Amino acid sequence: MEIEKNKLDPRTKLTLVLCISSLSVIIQDINILIGILVISIIISNILGANIYSVIKKIKGLVKIFIAIIIIQSLFINYGETIIQINGYKILTDVGLIKGLEFIFRMAIIIVSATIITTSSSREIVQGLIQLKIKYEIAFMVSVGIRFLPILTQEIKDSIKAIQLRGIEINKLSIKKRIEIYSYIFMPVVAGSIIKAQNLSTAMETRAFRAYNKRSSFNELKLNNIDYLIIIGSFLFAILILALYLK
Amino acid sequence: MAFIKASNVSFNYKEGENVLNNLSLELNKDKFTSIIGPNGSGKTTLGKLLIGLLKPVKGKILINDRDILTMTLGEIGQLIGYLFQNPEKQLFSTSVEEEITFIMKLKGMDKKIIETEKEKILDKFSLKHLRKEFPFNLSQGEKQRLALASIFVNKPRFLILDEPTTGLDIKRKEILSSHIDILRKEKIGMAVISHDKSFITKHSDRIIEINRGEIVGDRKKQIRSKN
Repeated sequence: MEIEKNKLDPRTKLTLVLCISSLSVIIQDINILIGILVISIIISNILGANIYSVIKKIKGLVKIFIAIIIIQSLFINYGETIIQINGYKILTDVGLIKGLEFIFRMAIIIVSATIITTSSSREIVQGLIQLKIKYEIAFMVSVGIRFLPILTQEIKDSIKAIQLRGIEINKLSIKKRIEIYSYIFMPVVAGSIIKAQNLSTAMETRAFRAYNKRSSFNELKLNNIDYLIIIGSFLFAILILALYLK
Repeated sequence: MAFIKASNVSFNYKEGENVLNNLSLELNKDKFTSIIGPNGSGKTTLGKLLIGLLKPVKGKILINDRDILTMTLGEIGQLIGYLFQNPEKQLFSTSVEEEITFIMKLKGMDKKIIETEKEKILDKFSLKHLRKEFPFNLSQGEKQRLALASIFVNKPRFLILDEPTTGLDIKRKEILSSHIDILRKEKIGMAVISHDKSFITKHSDRIIEINRGEIVGDRKKQIRSKN
């Protein structure tokens, strides 16, 4: 039986993500990185991924990204100086470009990851199994995928619960705020361990790993369009790399 | 005067699918109000709206005459205590006594006062013998008591308890009831979301029944027992 005939196979999506993210890690040219980002946005949109909701979710990380750019710039003191304090180069054009390259690289990885979200976790696991990855590892990936939104929600709940104890986090000093976060992670970590224990018990009771071989009710099948995209992705990646290394 | 007032409140998680429809109610500090109704009727959603965890899509909620939308969760927490259905969500420390004291420490209270308050609260909620225990290793009833005790640190004027008797046997329910009676003697108003008929019958001055996001019944003092 095929999973949703008209949709792309998850293995095709995994190949696309593999090619795009590998290129983003290898390539150090800002112009090519921008091009890859545009292409990954287009692909992600065509496949129906919700990029905007992902952007909304990672909005809180913008400050961290900016901090990384600044820190990175501080350690690169060659190139034309843009900002200089007491003779010490704070920001150079090369540092700025390296920082921007980092941002584009992160953006490519995040956008390309949204391509995978257009398949269900069950489909991805099945794809990994049919790629000859051990079921235990594929199952761990599926648990991880399912667990992430739960973990995010639990962190949010904990922040709200601690505020309801009469704590106004925004009015606290940074030292106390850090202290608060150590408390917030307590129920999250303890809850995760309890959930993991319950899950492992449930798996054991359902005879997880009882037999060496498993059969699957849902079998994935690659269509012509899948083969075309997989071959196209590899050719595209090789072409870009060849142009870049030339 | 009503301590909590909800006027024409509507709420939905998905547009067009209202969980609460134009609901209005007033909760007084001198009453024990039970909110009952079938699963999915909107009880917990109402509780979360009254404590500011959710924001109404329509209507207004006032706490002590202040619009809840103008208050931070921290400010609301000073006035109202909220006991989650799952008390594990509100346990943050590695020991029972730290659970009681860490908020006072964060607020910069004097060490001597913290010690005195801690002993009073541990005694009041029968937690003295568990003071060094890891909160997540406690029984469900003990977790409930600890969560209540830690809420009590703020000396709230009103408590909202979401399904406080879930998972408790008769004996543990009696222990919880006795602590609720103690809190009521201290003039703390209460609203309890529950399915537990015997518990509701024992404590309630008023029972509000909700179905499909609307109030379908509001009875006062009819079922209250003699205690």
